Amino acid sequence: MPASIRKRDSRVVPFELSKIAEAIFKAAQSQGGSDRSKAVELAKVVEAKLNALYGDGIPDVEQVQDIVEKVLIEAGHAKTAKAYILYRNERTRIRVMKTRLMTTLRDISFKDARDNDLKRENANIDGDTAMGTMLKYGSEAAKQFYECFLLNPRHSQAHNEGDIHIHDLDFFSLTTTCTQIDIKKLFAGGFNTGHGFLREPNSIQSAAALACIAIQSNQNDQHGGQSIPNFDYGLAPGVARSYIKNIDLVLDMRDADPDFRTSTAGGLKTLLLQKERAGEPFSILSPEGQDIVLSALCKRLSPEEARHIMDKALTRTERDTYQAMEGLVHNLNTMHSRAGAQIPFSSINYGTDTSPEGRMVIRNVLLATEAGLGNGETPIFPIHIFKVKEGVSFNKGDPNYDMFKLACRVSAKRLFPNFSFLDAPFNLAYYKPGRPETEIAYMGCRTRVIANRYDPSREITNGRGNLSFTSINLPRLGLKHRGDLNGFFGELDEKMSLVFEQLLERLEIQSSKKVKNYPFLMGQGIWLDSDNLGPEDEVREVLKHGTLTTGFIGLAECLVALIGQHHGQSEEAQKLGLEIIRHMRERADRKGEETSLNFTLIGTPAEGLSGRFVRLDRKLFGAIPNVTDRDYYTNSFHIPVHFPISAYNKIRLEAPYHALTNGGHITYVEVDGDPCSNLEAFEDIVRAMHDMGIGYGSINHPVDRDPVCGYTGIINDVCPRCGRHDGEGIPLETLRRIKGYRKESRSSDEVSEAEHKIPNCIL
Amino acid sequence: MIYCKTDVAVQAANAALVGEGVRFERIRRITGYLVGTLDRFNNAKRAEERDRVKHCSLEKWD
Repeated sequence: MPASIRKRDSRVVPFELSKIAEAIFKAAQSQGGSDRSKAVELAKVVEAKLNALYGDGIPDVEQVQDIVEKVLIEAGHAKTAKAYILYRNERTRIRVMKTRLMTTLRDISFKDARDNDLKRENANIDGDTAMGTMLKYGSEAAKQFYECFLLNPRHSQAHNEGDIHIHDLDFFSLTTTCTQIDIKKLFAGGFNTGHGFLREPNSIQSAAALACIAIQSNQNDQHGGQSIPNFDYGLAPGVARSYIKNIDLVLDMRDADPDFRTSTAGGLKTLLLQKERAGEPFSILSPEGQDIVLSALCKRLSPEEARHIMDKALTRTERDTYQAMEGLVHNLNTMHSRAGAQIPFSSINYGTDTSPEGRMVIRNVLLATEAGLGNGETPIFPIHIFKVKEGVSFNKGDPNYDMFKLACRVSAKRLFPNFSFLDAPFNLAYYKPGRPETEIAYMGCRTRVIANRYDPSREITNGRGNLSFTSINLPRLGLKHRGDLNGFFGELDEKMSLVFEQLLERLEIQSSKKVKNYPFLMGQGIWLDSDNLGPEDEVREVLKHGTLTTGFIGLAECLVALIGQHHGQSEEAQKLGLEIIRHMRERADRKGEETSLNFTLIGTPAEGLSGRFVRLDRKLFGAIPNVTDRDYYTNSFHIPVHFPISAYNKIRLEAPYHALTNGGHITYVEVDGDPCSNLEAFEDIVRAMHDMGIGYGSINHPVDRDPVCGYTGIINDVCPRCGRHDGEGIPLETLRRIKGYRKESRSSDEVSEAEHKIPNCIL
Repeated sequence: MIYCKTDVAVQAANAALVGEGVRFERIRRITGYLVGTLDRFNNAKRAEERDRVKHCSLEKWD
């Protein structure tokens, strides 16, 4: 008989008959067997067979297991044989997973981000840092754990094979995607971050700082980005408080009587609070508000003196607001969340608050963004979304038309703001004047939440968001059914049913969580109706305000596969494209009706996905021209980025898809040249988006910067300011000539004093 | 003529080159977010960015 056996790691160990007997007994036991001696007897048969086959050779584990299977079947123990085979398969699967996981972790540990695509999956995480790597370990291990133990095998198979893509799989069992944080509601009365209570902000500076903290805290409770739908309305009360403080400050500077100061500032603050609590619209900077301030000051002062004090206070408030916005932009580009590996993905929506306070917020956040960061860098966050609305912020004569013009100017320089269009019919349907929560707000990436099947009386943006989303690989369906539309729609229906089922299974896991699992999101009442729940309550009911979203990418490639052209090339393709997306929307709507849940359809942003699907499809179908021959599939319903088309036509062709994708959409226009030198044309593009029914759009133009001389603009091969090539050095003298390299930080007095002390030194 | 120490250092530095190895920053919007360096794009995004064509020119119209 064999004296030894070769294990999988090629170690040779002594052969033990008892181990085989034990394995057979365990398999029998799982089927209700209890006869140990029978197992030993069968093990002896195995041994005899091994003798005959291998003599003094060394069999390996797999060969021994094959013989055990055979012996069990031959001896008529079919059930035990089946259990043994299942057990063996399970062990193999786990072993494979272990090896795969360890290989993944090894790559994350030892490869640079530049050589490891996995580490560049998310462009805003630095995969080379300690915390970035730690985050990646967790993320990859979690994904493989869910695939092994938690996901329905049908879903995990479809995901692995690339029929569908389950987004944010690493957070599968943990949380939901994103929320529109209503900061107005959050700030009223103060809030708790879990590490201490924060009082209601009493100035624009602290309001702006707390807005950042709210974004940061909520980002730690969810896996997606965070957005503020009412940035202007939400920070306006901070401006009013700063103004009252500044009145008090100016009075103090003029040595006013302390009692008078207290009664003036205190009286104004009390009035402000009364109006706010009663929900009455009141603006201290409006003409009526200013009359109240004037009469309060005139109790002791002459009208001229009072007006002078009010002017000074207003100037200071404007400056405070600018500094607060500058601080906010800096904070959102430097503060970290998620184990310090990520800057929060933040978005802010504004543009429709016409009060002087709200306008002060809008103006200054735009100006601070235009100025850029410390060295003039373009801020990456927050994403700004300017709300365009006829009668408010769109046409000449609208109260915020000047803000719209400023938004265009800043976007032409800094790529932000993007523009959301409240007049697009599908957005206008929800708009109720005087109720900012009914204004559409977008998550920066494009997610949109407004309709509400679960509670039709709450069709609002605030306090809601996406729960999870899963995308369908449209090009693959096109490739599988070239020229066969019936087959295509048939399989599309199957895939959509699969996605619905998967979204619901994930919802079940999310729903069984408790408020304490989302200490900020649910604990502080950010999510709609969560303020009615206690820490041990399930979040099941309130989560129903969120959306369950089906996504898609590569409509263009799908159309090419089906009929040879994409929707930029022929009206026939456009017609079919709309038919496909309308079909998907109708399926989602029907599922929504059936379940009273918010099933929606999104044109997927396709972070890492655009490359993954095409890689898998190229293996299956080869490199098919204009379908799988590039390294990426086209984002959502976009016209392919490489296809020459005018801005007007691109907007015209993409707009109808915005009406269909109620879970989110965006249209980009790429422009050449420096948009700052032609703001009229820039504005014309935005107006065309408005007029043609785009919901959310933005204009892309290259923003380059030379960190050496500080030039920001378009840089081709050579920096237009200092003349260096990429990576090239230039003489310091040249640089100094260009930008006054050495900054004089001393006052003129200090310089002249130094000159007297060291007369021979050239300063 | 006596030069103070810092001046000598400045003169020496003038002869040297600054900015060697410093790359241009190229900010692009992809999948909705801005990214400050193309180095962190994954391969698919790099390819997409490379292929983009312009839809109109905003050079000053005459």
